[in-house]
Amino acid sequence: MSLLMRWLWPLLLAPAIAFGQGAVVKTDEVRAELVAHAPQGVSAGKSLALGLLIRHAPHWHTYWKNPGDSGLPTTLEWTLPAGVQAGPIEWPTPKRLPIGPLVNYGYDGTVLLPVTVTVPPDFGSAALDVRLKADWLVCKEVCIPQSGEFRLAVPAGSSTAANADAFAQARASLPPRASAATVQAKVDGQVLALQIDGLPADLRGKALDYFAADAGVIDHAGRVEQRWDGERLALRVPLSAQRSESPARLQAVLALPGESRGVEVGFAGPSWPPTAGVRSVAPQAALAAQPGAAPVTGVLNAPAASPIPLVMSLGFAFIGGLLLNLMPCVFPVLALKVVGFAKPGANRRQIAGQGLAYTVGVVASFVALAGLLLAMRAAGDQLGWGFQLQSPVFVAGLSILFALIGLNLLGVFEVGQLLPSGLASLRARHPVVDHGLTGVLAVAIASPCTAPFMGAALGAALTQPTPQALAVFAALGLGMAAPYLAASLSPGLGRWLPRPGRWMATFRTAMAFPMFATVVWLLWVLGQQVGIDGAAALLGLILAVAFAAWVFSATRSRSLGAAAFRVGAAAVVVAAAVGTWPVLQAQAGEPVATAATTQSEAAWQPWSPDALARVRAAGRPVFVDFTAAWCVTCQFNKRTTLGDAEVLAAFRARDVVLMRADWTRRDPAITEALRQLGRSGVPVYALYAPGDASPRLLSEILGVAEIRSALTGWPDRASTSPPAAAPPPPT
Amino acid sequence: MHAAILTTALAAGLFTAFGAAAQAVVGQPAPAFSAVDTSGKTVSLADYKGKHVVLEWVNPGCPFVQKHYNSGNMPATQKAATAQGVAWLSVSSTAKDASDYRPSSDLAAWIRSKDGVPTATVMDNDGKIGRAYGARTTPHMYVIDPAGKLVYAGAIDSKPTANVADIKTATNYVNQTIGEVLAGKAVSQPNTRAYGCSIKYSDAG
Repeated sequence: MSLLMRWLWPLLLAPAIAFGQGAVVKTDEVRAELVAHAPQGVSAGKSLALGLLIRHAPHWHTYWKNPGDSGLPTTLEWTLPAGVQAGPIEWPTPKRLPIGPLVNYGYDGTVLLPVTVTVPPDFGSAALDVRLKADWLVCKEVCIPQSGEFRLAVPAGSSTAANADAFAQARASLPPRASAATVQAKVDGQVLALQIDGLPADLRGKALDYFAADAGVIDHAGRVEQRWDGERLALRVPLSAQRSESPARLQAVLALPGESRGVEVGFAGPSWPPTAGVRSVAPQAALAAQPGAAPVTGVLNAPAASPIPLVMSLGFAFIGGLLLNLMPCVFPVLALKVVGFAKPGANRRQIAGQGLAYTVGVVASFVALAGLLLAMRAAGDQLGWGFQLQSPVFVAGLSILFALIGLNLLGVFEVGQLLPSGLASLRARHPVVDHGLTGVLAVAIASPCTAPFMGAALGAALTQPTPQALAVFAALGLGMAAPYLAASLSPGLGRWLPRPGRWMATFRTAMAFPMFATVVWLLWVLGQQVGIDGAAALLGLILAVAFAAWVFSATRSRSLGAAAFRVGAAAVVVAAAVGTWPVLQAQAGEPVATAATTQSEAAWQPWSPDALARVRAAGRPVFVDFTAAWCVTCQFNKRTTLGDAEVLAAFRARDVVLMRADWTRRDPAITEALRQLGRSGVPVYALYAPGDASPRLLSEILGVAEIRSALTGWPDRASTSPPAAAPPPPT
Repeated sequence: MHAAILTTALAAGLFTAFGAAAQAVVGQPAPAFSAVDTSGKTVSLADYKGKHVVLEWVNPGCPFVQKHYNSGNMPATQKAATAQGVAWLSVSSTAKDASDYRPSSDLAAWIRSKDGVPTATVMDNDGKIGRAYGARTTPHMYVIDPAGKLVYAGAIDSKPTANVADIKTATNYVNQTIGEVLAGKAVSQPNTRAYGCSIKYSDAG
């Protein structure tokens, strides 16, 4: 460190603030003084001049309103008696201050930054009390931000003109507005082309410096080409390659080089070429995680390509939709559908119509959901797929719906009697509408089950422009509906449908049990969210609803007694709902531990961005399990692969920190982390190798072999380092 | 003599050949480079293909750099970026003969002392990288996408002051840009006005 730096060091640690008791603030680099010019004193309704007079130590400088390539303009903050107004700084013509390949605009030597102060008509004090806080950046090679507080009393009754010369000089070097000048501006490639007419005669034919008053527009160090053609000056001002501003109006000072003589011109800005809208390709991690995605090198050769081509996204989405049919949480609805297909008297034509209606229902709801999701994405909401099941109220509503469907299948009540007769006959008359609605229901339940492939497709969709995203979701819906559409359209497949018969009543009853199984699962999810009280309250509500359904179904007479029963049943439901509501709203602080907590759970610590960063900064490998209670795939993996003794031993041997990000409840941090991994749903398994900046994403149906192979080649901790301390306690 | 006096004049000769070098442009490929880092390893931009890369021009002697390091803002931005798989290269383009030049070991020690966690700190003593990028100030920030395209050039944040208190209310453009690119969104502010101290470039570059 040079001697100079050693000496400056204390100054550099914090902005130097000098508190002046009076009008002068001195630092080693500048002497700044608050000065006034009021030759006639301070009188009501008149104006006077105030200013900051800065004397720079040799080679030091401060900055103009546009400081150029670096630096900051000096700012003045006035505190004046009520009604007294200070105008803006009347900036004298600056100097070009080259430093290496850069150019700044500013002042060295002595400069006065004047302002005009207007005194209100009712001013009657003996003196004008002026306070000023000024901030300036003073630079030579190093820069020092400085700040000064000044005080000055300007006598009202006597003349203040001690700095008359300085003010006169400042006025002389204030570039006057060239009011007669007209400027045509246009952008020509990377050049701002200006045609200026009507400049003062004494500038004509002379080489001029161009000082752009607007920061962030031109290349300050660039060469300005100029050409006089009679009275017209043509300028070609190079624009900054990294232009950040597109001002509607521009200002500039044209001055004779090295002299303070100049004029100011103001003009309408050109029509700026757009600078926004730059897109980035996705990082390698996201690409590598997408099955079958183009090799990274291929993507790199085509910088404009999106992470995965749209056709591929659509393909994945279609396959993902097909697989959705096999997911356990969709199965009950498919069962419903089978009941529908097996209805007696349905001819093939009708079934084809039903298949189409179902397809339309599924696709429409996927697109509608996508639209909603995209709208929320646009609103900046931190949402992800499966968010419906993060809402306890939604889960409760779904449980009740499934319980009712189950009861209906058991014959406790008939839908036709429960629904208003108009709607019931609508259903009867329009089986097509009915099947469309079944499709909608299927989607509502399928959405949380992020099947393999679907993660990548959804992640891709959410990061794509709206039309593509909608197309991906539509493909997902098509995939989901495809088996049924095929079965309903193709005679070959249609023949496989069972013949109508008495077995159907039995089948219908049997189908009630998958419904109740779904209710059990949903109750478990709700229990994770709001605890056992919430689950119990919901069971009570379901009981009340079931009772009401039975009462409404059983009391068909118009008698007063029957009506009373109905009112009573409705009252029971309302009471149960009122009792349940606050429990569902109650946010259980921590997810309630499951009964299945095993010893292996102790190895996991909760994920947070900070915790992850901390552990990774310590150079340790990390495995993150992004999971949720309502995600069946996640739970399956958790109980099989992630509970596997061999896997846990392999993690231990490599000193891998195990983190679990639980998305059962809505958590913006997890949503954001998933989005950064290019995903929008769980499960996601991220393995951070030591030293690697981005994680490797493992497949969603996680196998023991996959984890083993991912860890292959990593050194055992025993062979590389002394036995490490025990894993850090969960934080 | 012709009535129209035709004068062609160059602007004052304050400007030398340096500026003729093309500057990096947002939306275009970022200039490739290869240089030695503070630990003596050779670092190339190409090493990080497939990742987003942040370039940060740094000079411990600059109060604006101090503003963002002493407050923990720059280290936090580095941590957040690298935790998301972004490579972070801090670059020193300060000339060796500048009063606030720091040799490799000094610079690395200083960044460590501030809990800075760049992926590497690159010594650009001859200023070639800085000039290629058109880096003007410390700090001056750039973000490059995995295909090597420049997607952001400008300031660390939206409040061009030396006042630490302004960090809280400023928009951190680097965080904003990284958030947008990782979400696959267009960069909303690809060019902003860098602020800080001039980079003290070597004359030899």
